[in-house]
Amino acid sequence: MNGPAPWAGELEARLGRRVEAMHLLPGGASKEAWAIETDEGGLLVRRALGGVIHEATLSLEHEFEVLQAAEEAGVRVPHPVAYLGELAGREAFAMEFVEGETIGRRIVRDPPAGLETQLADELAKIHAIPPERLPFLRSSDIVTRFEHELDSVGDPHPALEYGLWWLREHRPEPLPDVVAHGDFRLGNVVVSGRGLVCILDWEFAHLSDPREDVAWPLVRAWRFGVDERRLGGVGEVGPYLERYAELTGRSIPEEELYWWEVLGNVKWGVGCLTQCRRHLTGLDRSVEYAVLGRMAAEMEYELLDLIAHA
Amino acid sequence: MPDRPAAPELIEAVFEFLSGELLPTLDDHRLKFRTLVAMNALGIARRELEAGEEGMGEDELRELARRIRAGDVDEGLPARLKEHVAEKLRVSNPAYLEKYE
Repeated sequence: MNGPAPWAGELEARLGRRVEAMHLLPGGASKEAWAIETDEGGLLVRRALGGVIHEATLSLEHEFEVLQAAEEAGVRVPHPVAYLGELAGREAFAMEFVEGETIGRRIVRDPPAGLETQLADELAKIHAIPPERLPFLRSSDIVTRFEHELDSVGDPHPALEYGLWWLREHRPEPLPDVVAHGDFRLGNVVVSGRGLVCILDWEFAHLSDPREDVAWPLVRAWRFGVDERRLGGVGEVGPYLERYAELTGRSIPEEELYWWEVLGNVKWGVGCLTQCRRHLTGLDRSVEYAVLGRMAAEMEYELLDLIAHA
Repeated sequence: MPDRPAAPELIEAVFEFLSGELLPTLDDHRLKFRTLVAMNALGIARRELEAGEEGMGEDELRELARRIRAGDVDEGLPARLKEHVAEKLRVSNPAYLEKYE
């Protein structure tokens, strides 16, 4: 969709900038994203759509605060410009528009050198954000959380149940909670020819065992077809973990990530089903959300395969 | 019995229209992407109609899910689940299974 949104004038008044052009970007899952050219540079406006993928999604106001805290901590993020309150009845905020590639399939074709360690650099900085800076972030028992989300879907998924059962039976000793990004993977990373530009999409930030974030980009779905490069289709896991250990003092053996990789498959499998419900319930009719309901089986097969090789 | 084209043939006709006539005219990335997703959805529907009913029914799946949640897991379960999921994938994304061969 191109051309101005009905709230363009409201935005101009709120920011004191003139809107010169705006268009809706593809791929927003629970929020829409608008690229907006103004007389004072490019903006990206995130605006609520109504539904959420996971129940633990932050409000846009809180997401904006997380973005500010991340910037203060030196994480590469788009500069948070302003929290806008309601824009034509829906919550929104504005941040700086950043040029670069976010489409996973394109990035894995020719990933820039050093992306593995750059990912570790950013993750280490995220995990160093003081939790007291963001008192609204919550911690939860992650296995129970996905059990509840699966229950909310309604239809039976024995393979996901089996994944949850296996996770309960093999729980690792927990590490102390850190501020976690919650969706740290390709797709939410802006990349240029020179490397990592910034980290996007902070709506799933929460407190958790750091290994949840560390293992998430290893999940097969986030390798975008380049399965032999286990870290997000872009590199090896070794240098990523080494760099992370160097910066955080947390030395995580690769085999310890295994449980979290199974968890990641449960998480995205359930995520596909809940996103599909946005379509089925009429909250947000879309062929993309509809098809996600049939993609969950991919994560089911992967988790069965992972557990079989445990 | 309805006249031809049968349901899978109708789906195929729409698929061919999208891929052959509509897609080449699209410049907008978002529309292109969504058209490809729509074609994928039609492929799933066609394969499902051609495969017919197979595997476990809803009641059986529900009972199995309930048992696993209750911790009732036996040795044969992983193999049974793998076959159940493979059946779903043969409809939703047959190419995906090839990665595991």
